[in-house]
Amino acid sequence: MSYFLLLAVNGLVIGLIFALVASGLTLVFSVLKVVNFGHGSLYMLGGYASYYLITALGLPSLVGVAGAMVALFIFGVIFERLVIAPMYTDKVERKDEYAIIVTFGLTILLSNLGLVVFGPFSKSPPSFMPGALILGPLILPYDRLIAAVVAVVLLVGLTLFLKRTALGQALDAVSQSRESAAVIGIDPRRMYTIAFGLSSALAGGAGALIAPIFALSPSMGDLPAVQAFIIIVLGGMGSVGGSIAGGILLGLVQGLGVGYLPDPNRALAYTQAFGALLLVVTLLIRPTGLFGRSHLRLE
Amino acid sequence: MLHLSFTRWSQAVLLIVALLLPLGMGPYWIHVGAIAWYYALLAASWALLAGYAGQFSFAHVAFAALGGYASALCAGQLGFSLPVAIITAILLAAVIGALIGALVLRLSGPYLALFTLAISEIFRLMLVAEEDVTRGMLGLPVPGLFTGKSDIPYYYLGLALVVLALVAMNGLLATRVGLFLRAIREDEGAARASGVDTTRYKILVFVVTSVIAAIAGIYYGHFIGILTPNIAILPEMGLVIAMAVIGGIESLPGAVIGAVVVFLLSETLRSYGEWRFVLMGLALILVQRFAQNGLFPVLESLGRRRQERRAAIPSVGGPSNG
Amino acid sequence: MADGGTMFFSVNGLSKHFGGIHAVENLSFTLERGEILGLIGPNGSGKTTTINMVTGALRPTGGTIVVEGSDMAHSPAHLFARRGVARTFQVPRLFRRMTVLENLIVPALSDYAERRSTAEERARGVLQFLKLGHLANQYARALSGGQQKLLELGRALMLKPRLLLLDEPFAGVHPRLLEEIIDHIKSLNRDGHTIVLVDHNLEAIQSVVTRVMVMARGQKIADGNVAEVLQNPDVVRAYTGTRTSH
Repeated sequence: MSYFLLLAVNGLVIGLIFALVASGLTLVFSVLKVVNFGHGSLYMLGGYASYYLITALGLPSLVGVAGAMVALFIFGVIFERLVIAPMYTDKVERKDEYAIIVTFGLTILLSNLGLVVFGPFSKSPPSFMPGALILGPLILPYDRLIAAVVAVVLLVGLTLFLKRTALGQALDAVSQSRESAAVIGIDPRRMYTIAFGLSSALAGGAGALIAPIFALSPSMGDLPAVQAFIIIVLGGMGSVGGSIAGGILLGLVQGLGVGYLPDPNRALAYTQAFGALLLVVTLLIRPTGLFGRSHLRLE
Repeated sequence: MLHLSFTRWSQAVLLIVALLLPLGMGPYWIHVGAIAWYYALLAASWALLAGYAGQFSFAHVAFAALGGYASALCAGQLGFSLPVAIITAILLAAVIGALIGALVLRLSGPYLALFTLAISEIFRLMLVAEEDVTRGMLGLPVPGLFTGKSDIPYYYLGLALVVLALVAMNGLLATRVGLFLRAIREDEGAARASGVDTTRYKILVFVVTSVIAAIAGIYYGHFIGILTPNIAILPEMGLVIAMAVIGGIESLPGAVIGAVVVFLLSETLRSYGEWRFVLMGLALILVQRFAQNGLFPVLESLGRRRQERRAAIPSVGGPSNG
Repeated sequence: MADGGTMFFSVNGLSKHFGGIHAVENLSFTLERGEILGLIGPNGSGKTTTINMVTGALRPTGGTIVVEGSDMAHSPAHLFARRGVARTFQVPRLFRRMTVLENLIVPALSDYAERRSTAEERARGVLQFLKLGHLANQYARALSGGQQKLLELGRALMLKPRLLLLDEPFAGVHPRLLEEIIDHIKSLNRDGHTIVLVDHNLEAIQSVVTRVMVMARGQKIADGNVAEVLQNPDVVRAYTGTRTSH
């Protein structure tokens, strides 16, 4: 029982991180109608940004996380303005393919840049707080607890921002219909930039939070990115709430799966394959995601 | 009607250069050249699938792995003779290609990309996990095609495969099928409303390109002598995409040249380590941003303009001539 | 059969449901060869859904679509096209990065019955008819909005259509071109083409058709002579937005 609890709690923490990554991906998808294939490398970048802010500048850990989010927001805004924005002009044909190629190109660029700049060996930033919370049989390191709490705060903050603020409403309006949003005076292009920046910040924050728990490596973003694709497809390509729930669920399932399946090597490979299979089946049943709005092609 | 096609003249010159190259090259560069043909086969067939037919698949290197592993296992574990093993692998790729083509009929754009990415990963993870059959990451030994130590036979075999694949694909595109594939890429619904049996041609293009990818994998496996699941990792797919996009995603010879140039550059710049791939990622984004049809058509149109100026003949026809 | 007005196209009890929404409900109508019908109705009344179903782009939930004696309700779109049921779209859907000529020969070649050379010859004829001959080698995306509408009409004509369904051919068209499109439609009808015309421009429709069918909330509410139908109180109510009490 305590083994189960341990796996479940660890799965929950990872699930919350997945939810952060996936909600950022969803934000870009619903507002820009773009699947960002470079999302995982933004997560990686966030991890290293906070590492250097903490170790090189000596900032407190949580300030480092916030700093990484700000840095990634700026990076996202610049990338959107320089590379994504031309997509909304007549100059770019084959818009779907354009978006896949440039965001996938970003992954190639950043993951290899990570290798040369940060080195192939994993790095670990100092922990948020050493020690662990001990509740009976359950041992929860403070790093995990803090990461989970911050993730929850960010997710709640995101939900409130989208529901309660004028800017959040404007983002939602654009995600529903860019034409109608333009009619009521919202500049969709500005919303695209903001959505991409926010999404990058969320990915970066997730990477920064995970850093003290798992070590940093240039390829750390690959797996969460694939998980995030699975989550947003399951959660309905465009629903932030759905992606949060999907992230937590997937974290739990995988945490328990790896723990209970015999033959760890095979278990690891097949829990990953299981997620991919889930994605395949979902797309076959409902090409637009299980609970999603239908996808509008860019014209 | 092959728009953006390369002039026959320069194709002939390049072919002669490729034929003569091994005469002046050491064994290392012949080896590198023979691997370049593997990527050229993949990039050109992926350009047909993604550039011409608009089916952006991430599963292309998985088909190379399928071909390579199937041929190796048939020849090894199952004890088939080499030709039978190779033909079995090709047929298997055709069947799986048709199956994938049929499964993705309703998917397009990012959905198709995600679907094929997932299929590709599932297949790779199976290769990793089923160690009893595939030997997992240890690698599966593959018998060679030629006796002797020289890579020269492989170099010429690879070159012949590239030429054959280009001739076959260009032949297909010169028929009305080429027109239908472009129509499907531009607007599938409108193609159907124009009487085009889109189902048939989408499956056809998956079969054709999957078979070529499998042939590339078979060639690679028997040439290198060992296969690991890493043949189908995402960065390998990224390499193929970069090659095709940089060369010209809508030009089959462009994709071949893109593959050869990118691969040779990456070998030449080996001492720069991962910086090469940083550069490649950057080039991929920049080419897509500023020359969406790749560098090759840009060069080609520059060359054509110069030729025309020299000949002082007014240009005839529109964008379809070339 | 005796007078050349053979009924060759009929729709019976056609329905389309999206989840709980009944986009089209129990729709029936027939067309005689050579007839020209205007299909009108407020936004969301099911006109385009109907067009999509009778061209095979959407599979009906129920009902039959009989073309020259055979039920095609479950046939795919390309078979409708090959049977000569051709359509245009509200917003032109051309093969943007193919030339004007290529756009036209795709439908001609699609059933493998025609050689490329004769298809090209016929395409040039169609371009002449539409006064687009000088644009044959341009990419379709380079055409103006009005020219795109004409080209799409031309693409439908290349199917040698027996029934031509035009979805909003007048929408967003320059007044001068409007005249031209009306003339084209009239002359196509004179040549014996059966045509269904969907549009909001009542004036333009009236100048072309004699019979009009009105849809509202997925159902047919009137069908007959233009002048009479437009007097019909149900139709007036549907257009002014007042709800009828059933």
